[in-house]
Amino acid sequence: MRLLRYTLYRLLQAIPVLIGVTLITFVLANLAPGDPVRFMLHGQEVDEELIRTVERRYGLDRPLHERYLVYMGGVLQGDFGHSIHRNRPVLDLMLARIGPTLLLVVSAYAFALATAIPLGILAAKRRNQPEDHVSRIVALVGVSTPSFWIGIMLILLFAVTLGWLPSSGLVYPWWPPETYGHSGYGEHALETVRHLLLPMIALGTLQMATLMRVERTQMINSLQGEYVKLARAYGVPERTILRKHAFRAAQLPIITIVGLNLSTALGGAVLIEYVFNINGMGRLFLEAIQQLDYQLIMGITIVIGTMFVVGVIITDISYAYIDPRVTYGEEE
Amino acid sequence: MTDPLLRVENLTTQFFTEAGTVRAVDSISFEVHEGEIVGLVGESGAGKSVASMSLLRLVESPGEIVAGEITYKGRTIFGLEETADGSLSERPEMLSEEEMRREIRGNEIAVIFQDPMESLNPVFTVGGQLREFIELNRGLSKRVAREEAIRMLREVGIPDPEGRYEEYPHQFSGGMRQRVLIAMALACEPSLIIADEPTTALDVTVEGQILDLVDDLQEKYGTSFIWVTHDLGVVAEICDRVNVMYLGEIVEQAPVDDLFYETAHPYTEALLESMPRPDLTVEEIQSIRGVMPSAIAPPSGCRFHPRCRYAREACKRVHPDPRRVATSADGETHRAACLRHDVFESGYEASAPLEHATALSDREVERPPGGEGGE
Amino acid sequence: MAVGESQLETDTGSRTEVDYGWRHTVSTVMGDTTARWGFYIVAFVFLVSAYTMVDSNLARLTFGAFEDFTFAEWLPIFDHPERIPPPGEGESNVPPAFHAEGSMANPLGTDPAGRDYFTRIVYGAQVSVSVGVVSTLIGFVGGTIIGAVSGFYGGKVDDALMRAVETVYAIPPLILIIVFTVFVSGGSPDIIYAVFGVGIAFIPVFARIIRSEVLSVREMDYIEAARASGVKNRDIIRRHVIPNSFAPVLVYATLQIGVTILIVAGLSFLGYGAQPPTPDWGQMLSVSHGYMHSNVWLSIWPGVAILLTIMGFNLFGDGLQDALDPRIDD
Repeated sequence: MRLLRYTLYRLLQAIPVLIGVTLITFVLANLAPGDPVRFMLHGQEVDEELIRTVERRYGLDRPLHERYLVYMGGVLQGDFGHSIHRNRPVLDLMLARIGPTLLLVVSAYAFALATAIPLGILAAKRRNQPEDHVSRIVALVGVSTPSFWIGIMLILLFAVTLGWLPSSGLVYPWWPPETYGHSGYGEHALETVRHLLLPMIALGTLQMATLMRVERTQMINSLQGEYVKLARAYGVPERTILRKHAFRAAQLPIITIVGLNLSTALGGAVLIEYVFNINGMGRLFLEAIQQLDYQLIMGITIVIGTMFVVGVIITDISYAYIDPRVTYGEEE
Repeated sequence: MTDPLLRVENLTTQFFTEAGTVRAVDSISFEVHEGEIVGLVGESGAGKSVASMSLLRLVESPGEIVAGEITYKGRTIFGLEETADGSLSERPEMLSEEEMRREIRGNEIAVIFQDPMESLNPVFTVGGQLREFIELNRGLSKRVAREEAIRMLREVGIPDPEGRYEEYPHQFSGGMRQRVLIAMALACEPSLIIADEPTTALDVTVEGQILDLVDDLQEKYGTSFIWVTHDLGVVAEICDRVNVMYLGEIVEQAPVDDLFYETAHPYTEALLESMPRPDLTVEEIQSIRGVMPSAIAPPSGCRFHPRCRYAREACKRVHPDPRRVATSADGETHRAACLRHDVFESGYEASAPLEHATALSDREVERPPGGEGGE
Repeated sequence: MAVGESQLETDTGSRTEVDYGWRHTVSTVMGDTTARWGFYIVAFVFLVSAYTMVDSNLARLTFGAFEDFTFAEWLPIFDHPERIPPPGEGESNVPPAFHAEGSMANPLGTDPAGRDYFTRIVYGAQVSVSVGVVSTLIGFVGGTIIGAVSGFYGGKVDDALMRAVETVYAIPPLILIIVFTVFVSGGSPDIIYAVFGVGIAFIPVFARIIRSEVLSVREMDYIEAARASGVKNRDIIRRHVIPNSFAPVLVYATLQIGVTILIVAGLSFLGYGAQPPTPDWGQMLSVSHGYMHSNVWLSIWPGVAILLTIMGFNLFGDGLQDALDPRIDD
């Protein structure tokens, strides 16, 4: 009940941010010098009369604020406009591409959390010992390396040199195995994982590095907490202290960072999809940019902004689930 | 006299830091008998908390118990012996880490910490934490432990214990949290509870309530207490016997009445004078001159001599250990570590007073007659 | 008398007051091994880019006196970064480490156009460093103004600014900057748009940090005192609030240079940053992407250069943080 109320509250709070996202996108898209139609035509010589017709057709002859309101009215009804270049509704184009991006981002986070949490705890437990130093170096290299270059290096090593893993594309688990000519669900699952492995690591390394250091600091703090001392004084086994008493409180900042870093991860997905030829939102965005398809660009930016906002809300709610202080709103 | 519940002999705990070795607890000895409340008193930095954590062998790195013996109910919590090659090693009968955890911590010796705000884990319910410790230390099933937890919450005066069982620490006031911690300690049915400044963080009215509660419960359960505090007012209210610590050492050891009426150590005297009292104005209250020196390089001789108004030449040379200076009416020993007492035969009377001491005694205000009772 | 007590009750030394002076900062940073290495790397990269910057602008700097002259004539290890050699000359494009036929004249091989790869890597430092520094500066200055105003005045101004910050935050920086670059440049992106794009995109992050610093500084006694004695708000911000909020932001800015270089590398890789023939690491990776299978080394060296440079800034930033903020542990 309290979580439900909190969820509604957070959703309401997100509305102004979402409006802001549409506004920024709209303003940016109209920053282009000259009129939009000519811009989209890449400077090709076209009949003036034709331009006027197109402008009228898409409402581009009206003042900016009016166009924004019309556009927003459409967005609220799920109508993101029409891609001029592809002559299809923007929404359809995006829906076809959103799955791979979600698969990629979610699995990158799964990889990051599955490695960062145990390694961070290990580093905290063995503070200033070799394990800690190794984790420090891994984290440093992780935050200093461009994700797309990690992708290229992984391809060179595991796909080109060793030939173990495929270097491009994804296998979508939601499509039937026959689409890929797989014999059954076993092979289908295996191929899904094989295709996902390299892009997932490339995108997840930065997150892993960041989260690992935070996990370490938080565990060190938590292990020095008064409640850990109390648990020790009451004979709680060290393993239980690490896994239960110290662990849970230490995860709170991790959750926040997962949410905020979603922005970096979604940006990184553009690069990783490009390097690994994955047909996701990121590639769609790059194609739209190339074609100056500004209805599509706006749609994608708004959807990605929304994905971030929704992601932050989800992490906030799980934070509230772990930390009772949030929802009661009476923190001292 | 029967065997004491806890006997501490020459306990020495040191911290090995980059700045040098900190002698946090330096060869202290005391006893706790069944059913009594023993005070451990001193300024912050005196080594009280380290001493009490040493009793559970929970001194955190870089600290380490380096010497002494701790015996609890005839079992050796800590004890060293000399091996054939002359080095020290742990005695075979000393309890292992696992035995300490299973058999001593919580179910034999429980603790109550100073800060009730930080001592409870913010992400678990109060009841859950209480239940966990009861389950662990009394070997009860989840269901029974839960009932026991609710019973204890009621016992320490928490209204609506069933309802509050499910609540989180932040929903409790400071006083209520301290009650929870007391319930926690008592619920594990230990024979000894170490209370480390349990009322310091609370305001005065709540402090009074908590002290009354402890008094009642102590009578009911017969549990012994080590009460760590800097507040002699609290000591006067609940303790039976008192150990006064200064810079890692026990400087005076006496039954509570003797400590207040037959004060035998200048440091205790100074502590008593620094207590706020209704019959003195702020100007008249004497604070103790100077700050406590570092325990890395304590002053030579008597460690209190740089701040002592009775200090003489001899105090710089001779290091006094606590010796019997009197015996009270009911046969209890009164010990003090001060050269002014005849038992030391250190030539105190003959040596010259130190300069600062003369200055300090000049500063002394007129003290009301009838001693310096804290009641 | 006693207030609080920790397990280690005894005073473990005379560390009563923390020295915040510059000398202290420098000695702390240089006393830490990792921070010192960070400083060496940063200093090296700065020196290299300063050298190349002077070299490529020599003609302009000397008012045409050295029209066709480059340092390359003195220091034969460098070729001219943009000179495409005539056919035949740049044929040995395999680096000696990869193939016996490689020649030490091109220690890292040559790029597909036959240009010496080592020279181009060296000249690439210039773009990365100046882009990193300039766009961080834009974010820093913009963020300081917005954050200081917002934190100092509070209330509705603060609310509005923070909502705006949150909004910009919601769009991934890479996407925001690409959109900005493409639309503002009218469809022909270049590094200069990327620099401004990155700078503007990071104004909110700086504003947020400055704001929280200002909020904590604002409550301090000397600000109260200045207010009470009638000093103008603008002067209080300039003379008291900003200097006192400076240290954490400086640390953040150092780390941010690394992040900026990372993002600009991504932009150039996708073709929205530096444009050929400018030697830039991200742009070089973009070109080499097409030769990934045949000429492996082309993809390796620029990435290593980016990695080392960013690592330098990160190490140095961490060291600076330890030196400026004794509270942070590790």
